[in-house]
Amino acid sequence: MGDVLGPDFISDLPQSIIESILTQLPIRDAVRTSILSSKWRYKWASMTHLVFDEKCVPLCNDRDGVDKSIVKFITSVLFLHQGPIHKFRITNSYLQSCPEIDQWILFLSRNDIKELVLELEEGEFFRIPSCLFNCKKLTRLELFRCELEPPLTFKGFMCLKSLNLHQVLISPDAIDSIISSCPLLESLSLSYFDSLALTIRAPNLKYLNLEGEFKDICLEDTPLLVELSVAMYMTDDIAEHFEQSSNCNFFKFLGGVPNLEKLVGHIYFTKYLSIGNPGNLPIIYNNLESIELYQVGFEDMNEMLVVLRLITSSPNLKELQISQGSSNMSSATDAPNMDFWAKKCPSDSTLGHLKVVKLTDMCGVPQEMEFIKFLLGCSPVLEIMSIAPCVHDMENEMRMLIELVKFRRASTKAEIVFTRE
Amino acid sequence: MSEIDTAVIKPEMMKPYIWLQTSDGSIQQVEQEIAMFCPLICQEVIQKNMGSSKNCAICLPQQVNPAMLSLVLDYCRFHQVPGRSNKERKSYDEKFVRMDTNKLCEVTSAADSLKLKPLVDLTSRALARIIEGKSPEEIRDIFHIPDDLTEEEKLEPLKNITDDPRIRLLNRLYAKKRKELKEREKLKNVEAEERVDERSVDDLLSFINGKDSDQKGSKTSKNKKKNRRKKEQQKNSSLKEASELNKEEVNGNNVRHQSSEAIRVGETSNLDYTEDGTFNDIVDFDDGDIDDEIDPALKEKIDREVEDFARRLNSNWPERMQDFLSSGRERNTTLFTTDRTGFLSRHA
Repeated sequence: MGDVLGPDFISDLPQSIIESILTQLPIRDAVRTSILSSKWRYKWASMTHLVFDEKCVPLCNDRDGVDKSIVKFITSVLFLHQGPIHKFRITNSYLQSCPEIDQWILFLSRNDIKELVLELEEGEFFRIPSCLFNCKKLTRLELFRCELEPPLTFKGFMCLKSLNLHQVLISPDAIDSIISSCPLLESLSLSYFDSLALTIRAPNLKYLNLEGEFKDICLEDTPLLVELSVAMYMTDDIAEHFEQSSNCNFFKFLGGVPNLEKLVGHIYFTKYLSIGNPGNLPIIYNNLESIELYQVGFEDMNEMLVVLRLITSSPNLKELQISQGSSNMSSATDAPNMDFWAKKCPSDSTLGHLKVVKLTDMCGVPQEMEFIKFLLGCSPVLEIMSIAPCVHDMENEMRMLIELVKFRRASTKAEIVFTRE
Repeated sequence: MSEIDTAVIKPEMMKPYIWLQTSDGSIQQVEQEIAMFCPLICQEVIQKNMGSSKNCAICLPQQVNPAMLSLVLDYCRFHQVPGRSNKERKSYDEKFVRMDTNKLCEVTSAADSLKLKPLVDLTSRALARIIEGKSPEEIRDIFHIPDDLTEEEKLEPLKNITDDPRIRLLNRLYAKKRKELKEREKLKNVEAEERVDERSVDDLLSFINGKDSDQKGSKTSKNKKKNRRKKEQQKNSSLKEASELNKEEVNGNNVRHQSSEAIRVGETSNLDYTEDGTFNDIVDFDDGDIDDEIDPALKEKIDREVEDFARRLNSNWPERMQDFLSSGRERNTTLFTTDRTGFLSRHA
């Protein structure tokens, strides 16, 4: 006792430190500090970050009971709260959609909310009230399993930087208009949308993550895009749509992203890109350093063309990861085009910065081996190439290894690592 | 940061050491590179050219005594080296915060005064880890927090508490007040639209004038009652302090009301909270005008009600509470402006 701060050495710390301490406590403990002493009575009430996670109420067997107690807890915290709330987050799997949530959002909209995350797990989708669109200072919005319908007078979130919608029911026009009306939007993530046809106009967008069944995506105005990650699911409708489409998807998608640094494509992404004829417009991605493509169909020449195009348009490519994904490779060996790479590739192309290559799910078919040969021959600074076969088949693997050993390597430092499961 | 900043400094300033004066007056020399890691010191050196000699040593804030300075500088010395891996930094941080709790608080305070945010975050996280999961008694023990909440302590805000009739009465009165204020608000809004629809305002005015020619905004006796009560409060200090105290109680207890009243409370009270926490624009009590117009019988009834209420409240609070209440007496005028919801609230 008798320190610089007096016998009680925590209660007199400045409010900013107390806030820093309280926001790093689980909310229940933070609220409990109110009974420590008279000074602590309302210290918690001016916290600007409120996070209600799985542990915010004690669990018991009665699911309904837990749900009710969560609602009560959140309502009472909000009611006793004083001051602005900048961050509000609910991620609790017991909380079901209920009318009180409307009231909470209304309350938040009047208290300068900046970051709102609502993850409601069970039951029916929650219909977001229109007061959400009055939150003028919103910088980050994350919604899970909700229904969203912006009012006609909605002009956009002027400060919104990050938008993440996961399993959200919203009309395509509405989503287009929301995206284009948020001038500062930097990060956009849309997951599990059904049959969405999207045109993205977001001049400041840097990070884009799309996952779901997309009929059509056009990145119309995204010059600053840095990271792109797409997982495209396919249904029969969409496949049909693709067949009939005359657009050049490669261009529509990757035509306007000169600053791209990282590209990740899952499932049908390469197939999607392969549709349409890109012509000979040279687009160079000077900053593209990392490409990850999964479920690439090696037997499809068009998809291979896409991969080739991506690789040769990225002079600074450092990391390449490709995972093979055709369902049956055995039927694809009819007259493989052995000179494919030699023909399609300009003879002086070198991947001057490629250092790491990772190939997974390789079956050992000629197309794949040609591709590996091409990579090895054109990468003077290659350090590691790791290959993982898809099926543990001794004979097949032996064959692959024998071929691999024959290939010329442009880089003296290249290590080929053959990993077997 | 320090490299970029030193580039701007004149060559005379590029000495390897700067002088710092701690809270106890003693002056010491510290390597400049390390000390500049602290934004406050950096600011002093660059903007005010301080610290180059013993005479113009930088005066550190009072939270920084020699022991604290040495701890902060240890932290800076480690972290300002650019080549360290994240793992190394993390492990250093974890070792760093292994110290007595009171020292931890002091370091937090010192780092905050020097505006060294990474260290503040680190130490406050350590303090949060100490507090987490402990019972109130344990926390009080660790930090030597005085246990001065004997009565209120029982009113933990998150628990259900048995219905207290006083609380219910208070809630009812508050609800009435809120309604009155709401009506007032409506009236105000109507007046603001004067140009749009004059007729309605005239109607209202004549209605008001019919009842009470002098009052500006209120049109019912309830409003008079509320204003009256405010006047009353200025005379009867123990009442208002008790009300104030009950406001705290009510805040603590309102959670348990599942009735529609409570939900309305929940909605309205939070709706009108102004952004920066002040309630400036609501105070509309024209005390001077009101008194003369109130019906004396009504006035008496109101006085009686209010005093009865006050007595009931006061009778159950121990002496200590009375002391606490009377100590609030000086803060009369600022304390009791009511916000729109009718809650008597403190200007903290």
